[in-house]
Amino acid sequence: MSKIDQQEAGAPAAPGRSSPHVTRLRTELGRIAAIAAVFGAAITFWQGDPFILNIMAYTFLFGALASSWNIIGGFGGQFSLGHGVFFAIGGYTTANLYFHWQISPWLSLIPAMILAMLVAVLVSWPTFRLKGPFFAIATLALNEVALVLANYFDTLTGGPRGMMLPFNAGLANMVFTSRLPYAVLMLGFLIVCLVVGAMVLRSRLGYYLQAVHIDEDAARAAGIDVLRVKLSGMAVSAALTGIGGSLFAMYLRFVDPPTLLSIQDIGVKFLLIALIGGVGTLYGPLAGALLIIPLEFHLRATLGGMLPGANLLILGALLVIFSLFMRRGVVGAGQALWTRYRRTKNE
Amino acid sequence: MLSFLNIVIVGLLLGGIYGLVSMGLNLIFGVIRIVNFSQGELVMLGMYGAYLSWFFLGLDPYLSSIIVVPLLFLLGVVLQRFILQPLQNEPFMQIFATFGLLMFFQNLVLAITGGTGYSVRSAASSAVITMGEINVSLPRLIVLIAVIVVALGLNWFVTHTMPGKAVRAVTQDRRSARLMGINVELAFMLTFGAGAALAGLAGVMLAPIYTLSPQIGGNFILAAFAVVVLGGLGSVWGAFFGGFIIGLVEAFAGYYFDPALKHAIWFLIFIIVLIVRPGGLFGIAGAEEMGLREQD
Repeated sequence: MSKIDQQEAGAPAAPGRSSPHVTRLRTELGRIAAIAAVFGAAITFWQGDPFILNIMAYTFLFGALASSWNIIGGFGGQFSLGHGVFFAIGGYTTANLYFHWQISPWLSLIPAMILAMLVAVLVSWPTFRLKGPFFAIATLALNEVALVLANYFDTLTGGPRGMMLPFNAGLANMVFTSRLPYAVLMLGFLIVCLVVGAMVLRSRLGYYLQAVHIDEDAARAAGIDVLRVKLSGMAVSAALTGIGGSLFAMYLRFVDPPTLLSIQDIGVKFLLIALIGGVGTLYGPLAGALLIIPLEFHLRATLGGMLPGANLLILGALLVIFSLFMRRGVVGAGQALWTRYRRTKNE
Repeated sequence: MLSFLNIVIVGLLLGGIYGLVSMGLNLIFGVIRIVNFSQGELVMLGMYGAYLSWFFLGLDPYLSSIIVVPLLFLLGVVLQRFILQPLQNEPFMQIFATFGLLMFFQNLVLAITGGTGYSVRSAASSAVITMGEINVSLPRLIVLIAVIVVALGLNWFVTHTMPGKAVRAVTQDRRSARLMGINVELAFMLTFGAGAALAGLAGVMLAPIYTLSPQIGGNFILAAFAVVVLGGLGSVWGAFFGGFIIGLVEAFAGYYFDPALKHAIWFLIFIIVLIVRPGGLFGIAGAEEMGLREQD
C-alpha cells in the first residue's frame, strides 16, 4: 500500500477533471471500509429474511461485476459488451472442477481468474484495434459466439441442458444451506472489487487508462503504450469478472448457456448498472446496482407474471433516458448538485 | 456437383436476406455515423407490421409494405430527432441509447404478444420454383430480387438526385455541407427514416419466411454487422456483396462443418477482416475509426 501511495505522490492529477482535488487511496480505503460496515449491518439486520438476503446477494454481486467492468469500460473507455464471456469462463471453470473432480470452489477461483484473463487478453488483442462502437460490436459478436460454443461443446458445459452442481453443504464446498453466508460472500467480493478499483484508479495504470479514454492519440503521443495499457486494464477487469462467474455458479448451483451468457441479462447488465450509477466513477457501479437490482426484483415480482419481459422493457427505457439526460449517472448528478450547492454557498 | 450448386443457391438466397437487412444499417452508419444496435428490432417491427396488416386488413404481406414502410420511416425520423440527434457527438451514449431501444422494442413486443410465435401467410408462401434439379422457394427469390432493386435504387438515389447528393455531401464533410446551405439535421432525419424504412421493407419481405418472435431481430443484427464490416462501412455495394459473402460462408459452413457452428465461423471471418482490412473489402481504409471523428 505504501508503494502505491508513493506512486500517487509522483503521478499527475487525473486529467480532464474539473477539480484538481484527488482523493488519496487511504481515504478511499476508509470509505470502502465504511461501506462494508453499513452493508454488514444490513445483512445482520435482515439475517432472518431469505428474500431480502437473496436481493442483497444479487445486488452485491452485480455491484461488484459492474465495478469490474468499470475498470476497463469506465476508466479506460472501452465499452465491452462481451464481459459475459469472462463471466461464463469463471462459472464453467468452477462448475467443471467441482462437478468432475470435487475441487473446492475456493481453489478453483484461481484457474477461473487466470483463464478469464488469458482469454480476455487473447480476444482483445485484435479487437482493441477497433474504437468505440466497433469495439462494442466485436465484443457483442464475441459473446454470441461464446453462446454458440457453450451450446455446442456439451462435454464441457452440459450444453443447453446445463450442469446441476451437487448439493454438498459445507464451507469447503462453498455450498451453504442458508442465504446468509452467500450474502456475506458476495459482500466480500464487492469489497475486493472496490479495493482493486480504488488501487487501479490511483495507480499508474489507472492514470494511463484515463488518458487513453480521454484522447487515445494524445496518450500515444505522450509515450503511453496504448495497447498494453488497454490489455492490462482488460486483464484486471476480466479476472474479477471470472471470479464473479465462479461465485454466481456456486450460488445458483446450476450453470447453462443462457444464465451465463445472456446478452441482456448479463453482458449488457454490467454496462447498464455502471451507466445508471455513473460510468468511470469508483462508486457509481455500486450505486447503480443498489438501484437497479432491487428494482428488477420488484418489477419481476409485480409485473413478471402478467407481462413477460416487463423488467427488461423498463431497463431498456432507463438506458435511453439516462443516456439522454443523466450521462454521468446518479453519482455524477449528485456531484454536480453538490458543486452547485457549494458554489452558491460561497457566493 | 449438384449438391455444390445447391449450396451456392442456398447461400445466394441467404445472402439476399442478409444484404437486405444490412442495407438500412449501412445507410445509417455511412451517413450519420451511428451504429444502430436496434436495427434488428426495426426489422422485427416490420415483420409484426406485416402480420398486423395481414390479420386486420387481410393484406398480402408483400402489399402491406405500402403501410409498414412509411410507418417505419416515421418512427426512424422520430428516433433520430428526439433520441439520436441530442447524442450526435456522444458515441458512447449512442451505444447505450440504441441498445436501450433494442431492449425496449424487443420486450415491448414480448410483453404484448406474451411470446406466442406468429406466422404470416402469403399467396407466394409455399410456392417453389423448380429449375432442373434445383428447387427455389419463391419468397426467398423475391428477397433476392428486392435486395438487387434496393441496391440499384439506393445507388441511383445517392449519385443522381439532389437529395442524394446532399446526403453524400453531409457524409463527406458536415461543416462544408452546412456552409453550402444543406440542412444537416434534416438530412440526418431523412436518412435515419430511410434506414428504418429499409429495415421495415426487409421485415415485410422476411415475414412469410420466418416464424415471428420478439427475439428474431437478434438473428439478423449480428449478421448485418458482419456484412457491414466485411463489405465496407457505409458502402452500398459493400453491403450488397458482403451479404452474399456471409450467406455463402454460412451455407458452406453449414454443409461441410456443422450448422450449429455458423456463428463461430462468421466471427472468425469477421475478426480476420478486422485485422487485415479494418475498412472492409469495399470501404475506405480507416473508416472504422470515423465513427468517432467529430465533424462539427
